[in-house]
Amino acid sequence: MKTKQAEQKQKTRTGELRALGLIIVVLFPVLSVFGIGAYGLVIWVIQAFGGVVSH
Amino acid sequence: MRWLKNLWLTLNRPATFLTLGTISLAGFIMGVVFWGGFNTAIEATNTEEFCISCHSMESKPYQELQKTVHWSNHSGVRATCPDCHVPHSWGRKIARKMEASSDVWGWFFQTVNTDAKFESKRMEMASREWARFDRDDSLACKGCHDYDSMKWDSMSKLAQKQMKRAAENDQSCVDCHKGIAHTLPDMGTARAPELIAEVGTGPNSFNLQQDYYSALTKPLYFSENGDVEAGTLNVATKVKVLESTDRRVKIAISGWRKKIGAGRVIYYDFGINMLTAQLSKDAAKTDGIINGFEEKEDDMTGLKWQRVETQLWTDAEYLIAEQQPLWDYARDTFRSSCSVCHTQPDEAHFDANTWPGMFQGMIAFVNMDQDTQALVQKYLQQHSSTFVKKEH
Repeated sequence: MKTKQAEQKQKTRTGELRALGLIIVVLFPVLSVFGIGAYGLVIWVIQAFGGVVSH
Repeated sequence: MRWLKNLWLTLNRPATFLTLGTISLAGFIMGVVFWGGFNTAIEATNTEEFCISCHSMESKPYQELQKTVHWSNHSGVRATCPDCHVPHSWGRKIARKMEASSDVWGWFFQTVNTDAKFESKRMEMASREWARFDRDDSLACKGCHDYDSMKWDSMSKLAQKQMKRAAENDQSCVDCHKGIAHTLPDMGTARAPELIAEVGTGPNSFNLQQDYYSALTKPLYFSENGDVEAGTLNVATKVKVLESTDRRVKIAISGWRKKIGAGRVIYYDFGINMLTAQLSKDAAKTDGIINGFEEKEDDMTGLKWQRVETQLWTDAEYLIAEQQPLWDYARDTFRSSCSVCHTQPDEAHFDANTWPGMFQGMIAFVNMDQDTQALVQKYLQQHSSTFVKKEH
């Protein structure tokens, strides 16, 4: 009974570490790059149609 | 799919083993590492080494730059590619980086990898770059050059005048300073692509005995299929179509000529130096090509003028039914090209015989192909005080 609980704990621990790693090493950087890319694209498109952006 | 569900379950409840400290520290450190890494990567693409790592950039623009003052000068400042070609503010820099993704396309499909390919695209690429400079008011130039820091005293009188005017309007530098860091595209030989895009190449069939106007300076021929040229017909000239075949039309040109030499230049009207057509010596000397009529003497110059008519063949293309589109294009070109450096004078400020001298004196300052030059000059003459006097 006790070992099963310990096993469950260990599983949760690994799961949390993995989730944290996945999010801050992969997901958020990828999202940031996409976000910045989209921002650049929007400025490009705005400039193509409506002249220069001030920042 | 199961791992995704497990991941979501883990993320969606308070952490049981990881402490708040571990999580926030990990987030903070990763944030710093990411942002540093991102900017380092952006900076790496913003170096000269990166730009000239492509053969087409190294072999042409980079070599051309080395012959200019932006490469070597007595102040020891050197401009690198991104100094001029990448905006310095963050937002627009990112936008330019996105725009540059099309360069990757060009690199992949090798659109400018040889000398010939590069030269054939030079005009297009240069125009695109000028448009960017214009759009940014040449901010990249102004990163180093500042109107307020210019030493006016060491400029020539003319330069001072032009520069002060530009400073007042905070004008874009490349309006005047084109071709200063790379070779200027050849713009004198192209046959006015923008003009033709505006006015068209002319109808497919002609109504005989009707008037048409030349959209370019056109060659004249003796016969309907011979290659011997009899001269050139000036742009925006009214001609009457007499006969037409698939390739060519026979046209009647009328005007006045000066009775000097072979008298091979035909002008618009008596005493007005407005070019209509210029015949070859052979054509002018051949009997029956030029038919002469009444003569008049010009009191101003003492020259004898003669009214003439000639009938010759020309290619069927670039003869259009309306003259107004030509004048519209010429007016726009005149206004935009001349106002870059100064207030352009009114068309009716000079008379038809004064305009050519004025115009030719200024033409070196602008980039205009020969057809457009001829058209604008004719526009100015046709709208000069000689013809619009009554409206004043």
